[in-house]
Amino acid sequence: MSLVAYRDLIGVAYTEEEVKAMAAEVEVEDGPNDEGEMYTRPGKPSDHFPSPYPNEQAARFANGGAYPPDLSLITKARHNGQNYVFALLTGYRDPPAGVSVREGLHYNPYFPGGAIAMPKMLMDGGVEYEDGVPATETQMAKDVVTFLSWAAEPEMEERKLMGFKVIFVLTLALIQAGYYKRWKWAPVKSRRVIVDVIN
Amino acid sequence: MSDDGEVVDPRARLDEISKAKCVKQLMSYQACVKRIEGDETGHKHCTGQYFDYWACIDKHVAPRLFKWTK
Repeated sequence: MSLVAYRDLIGVAYTEEEVKAMAAEVEVEDGPNDEGEMYTRPGKPSDHFPSPYPNEQAARFANGGAYPPDLSLITKARHNGQNYVFALLTGYRDPPAGVSVREGLHYNPYFPGGAIAMPKMLMDGGVEYEDGVPATETQMAKDVVTFLSWAAEPEMEERKLMGFKVIFVLTLALIQAGYYKRWKWAPVKSRRVIVDVIN
Repeated sequence: MSDDGEVVDPRARLDEISKAKCVKQLMSYQACVKRIEGDETGHKHCTGQYFDYWACIDKHVAPRLFKWTK
């Protein structure tokens, strides 16, 4: 989630104070100070979500050779992204007859190739929802997908609202322009040209 | 969803209900399993029938599933 910053959550899911508190829980390495040394400091809202691994090799090592993709844009980066992520999270099943996956991988029919490195992570009752909603796999997967869709397109609602307004105004402008053009062209289109013989 | 505090995923119940609509695919999958039972080469598999069956189940479960989520 390295493209999402803590401050993006302000006004969407948390208040500014809550976001500052969440960001401060993380230690961030910051640029060279006056002495030329890198130092660590508690996070600020302007920092992006921290990456759990320092580099790709560490990520691969911790995940059996597979590189977990950055999820900031995952719902846009996969065809039918929202449905795909939901199906993937809830779709861990026994493989069909005749198919076996090697040790360390898990079968998931929705993953291209069928063998995914991530084990099934969502279990019923895995989380406590603050408002007492039963934490079924389906509910948790839906919430995860909603969050990832927001992370990929935080501006989506505003963009679509503005889109409606723009299309509406442009339609009015189109009608007006069409009418004006036909009004101006009326004399030209309604004239008669007579080709006659000159004696 | 039940009184003793245990959460039950609606998915399991909906899968059962949808099985009735997907009998043809289920039969075809089971026929395939039987066919490759004695297979030693390791190349035969029933992924095609498996996908057909689960695609049918998913198609029936999908419109009903989100009534049960918030």
